Amino acid sequence: MSAHDHRLYRPAPGTGRAPLTSTVSPWLRWLTEAVWFVEHAFERARTEGKAEEDTRVRIFVIMAAFSCVFVCLALGAAYAALFADHGRFRGGSTAHALERADLVDRNGLLLATNITHYGLYIDPNEVWDREAAFRQIKSVLPSISDKRLRRVLDGDRRLIAQPGLTPAEKSAVHALALGGISFEPEDRRVYPLNGSAVHLIGMADTGGQGVSGTELAFNEDIRAAGQAGEDFQISIDLRVQGVLENELAAAALENGSKGAVGIITDVQTGEILGMASYPGYDPNRPAAAPDGATLNRATSAHYEMGSVFKTFTVAAGIDTGRADMATVFDASVPFMLGNRRITDFHAQNRAMTLEDVYLHSSNIGTSRLAVEMGGDVMRDYFQRMGLLDAAPIELKESARPIVPREWSDTTLASLSFGYGISITPVQMAAAMGALTNGGRYVPLSLRKGGAPRTAEPRRVVSEQTSLTLLDLMRRNVVRGSGTRADAPGLRVGGKTGSANKLVGGRYSPAAALGTFAAVFPTDGPVTARRYSILILMDEPQTYPKTGGFVAAPAVGRIADRIAPFLNIPRRGDRWATATGEKIPQPDEAAQ
Amino acid sequence: MNAPVVVKRLFDWKVRGFRWVEIIGVVLVAAMVFSVYVAKAGAARESARIGELERQIADNRQRVRLLRAESTRLEQPGRLETLSRAAGLAPVDVERQAEAGSLNDLKPVEAPTEVTPRAIYVAPVEDEPPALPDMEVAQ
Repeated sequence: MSAHDHRLYRPAPGTGRAPLTSTVSPWLRWLTEAVWFVEHAFERARTEGKAEEDTRVRIFVIMAAFSCVFVCLALGAAYAALFADHGRFRGGSTAHALERADLVDRNGLLLATNITHYGLYIDPNEVWDREAAFRQIKSVLPSISDKRLRRVLDGDRRLIAQPGLTPAEKSAVHALALGGISFEPEDRRVYPLNGSAVHLIGMADTGGQGVSGTELAFNEDIRAAGQAGEDFQISIDLRVQGVLENELAAAALENGSKGAVGIITDVQTGEILGMASYPGYDPNRPAAAPDGATLNRATSAHYEMGSVFKTFTVAAGIDTGRADMATVFDASVPFMLGNRRITDFHAQNRAMTLEDVYLHSSNIGTSRLAVEMGGDVMRDYFQRMGLLDAAPIELKESARPIVPREWSDTTLASLSFGYGISITPVQMAAAMGALTNGGRYVPLSLRKGGAPRTAEPRRVVSEQTSLTLLDLMRRNVVRGSGTRADAPGLRVGGKTGSANKLVGGRYSPAAALGTFAAVFPTDGPVTARRYSILILMDEPQTYPKTGGFVAAPAVGRIADRIAPFLNIPRRGDRWATATGEKIPQPDEAAQ
Repeated sequence: MNAPVVVKRLFDWKVRGFRWVEIIGVVLVAAMVFSVYVAKAGAARESARIGELERQIADNRQRVRLLRAESTRLEQPGRLETLSRAAGLAPVDVERQAEAGSLNDLKPVEAPTEVTPRAIYVAPVEDEPPALPDMEVAQ
């Protein structure tokens, strides 16, 4: 080993000029010594005779370390090349996920959807001529508030000038080619049907949460369906809904009612096919809704419905066995309860059979029947018909009824013809369904196929009673108070209801309520397909104000128009032919 | 000559001072690098195309949603009814409705009338050469 071997070079400490390192930092000095220590490892190994620190061993160790690193890199590269796309494709499948699913009817027609709207953002620092920008934006967006636009343009940072631009408005603003203008997409709930089914569909807020109607009732389900990119289907049939709304509005305009309700249900499954509340409003401009228009009268308004309740009294009477079609009630004189005098609207002043009581809507007859049955029986039947509790339907708006506190004889008499108890139209629709589907109380539902069955529906009346009631209701339409509700060949049955409303503590004949609760077709076995139509007119202005005149004609027209959609064939029955001609009855000829 | 010796000679076979094994290795590595480059470039192109298509799909989906909402707006039941009434249309009278099964009752079947021969076109089947079966047999 030569003396010139650089490996033997050692800086002489303390001699000559001091090394730079020692003056700069003790750390650098330490590092330099460490480097030299490693550099002289060979010499030390040779002098100490340690074979394991030989050059070959060191080379091997270094190569092994590098190999490890390269193998790791190769594995990493292979993994990145082969599996990196996984996450991206998963992202791709949820790309069309929505905050809220599209709401569709039972046939897939659209009721509510999400459309991407755009927020208009302006960065004033990039606007050249603020006055010109103001004029131009104002010219294509007349709805924008002057004050707000001015404030954003005169500000010093990027701010939102107008949220919720439609795609058309966005392209109009974009076409101005102004500097400093940008758009940010935002999902917005849109109701393309405008006023149709508005109460039923309800609304969702800008945060994507339902606030009323179906949007609220099925909020979680709609959001979950949106995440999965699917539509959310409800039981409504838009064609039926359309007919219901149009005929309801036409009838309400004709008789000057201040409000009206229409409900169409499938009595076997409890599905709601149509539900309308008049007047309506535009859900895309809720602020412009007239007073009281946002109320869903079908679920949230209370009414003393009057004579339609006679159906319930008669049902209870027949079901308990206290009365049958031939039972005779003395309606020749007013029925006295204490000093209260119950009379008939169309007094017949004769003894009447149960059928006559129902067809002529005799208050005397049903009062007598109710008082005979007693409070416990009546309360039991009313309970089972769901008249004493809020209707079990998904809509959160479903209100509790106003029920009597005590069930005295005079209360029973009132209840028997529909006074003294205020119920919601959905309760009435559900109860009529229960009486005409064989006596099972099926909860109303907006789910296609009806509410999920948890238990056997509770029994309200026997199947025999149900059949008798169907016959009675049909007779009422053929030759009773409901003749205007008949539709040719559709075997419509039903009961009218006419009530005076309580105004300032007195029942005022000026404020009336006309109702018609119908069901069709009335023939066939109890399990046959059958639909109920409930029409209610609140404060009609034309005379006569009774249900048989203000509500029944609408029922007939609706049944006539929806029968093809529901696939109900026109057929003759005992009373009339398929085209609506009356068949002479032998018992009528005898009278 | 046993196998290890052959392998060793092959291993030591050199051209201009380079082992053949090393030259082949370098060529293979170069080929691999090139092929990986080509594959990656192709993948990038495809991926860009996929991205483009996905964007188009998203755009079209958005457009479909818009059009669906627009068509629903135009088909509002109230609007349709107003338009139909304005056009003089009304629900069909019950006397004019019929089911498919009752068609025969509605319009009696007419008695067969004499058919004039020239009204019927008779295809000249006899003149057609029966070519197809023969060809199949020939094959």
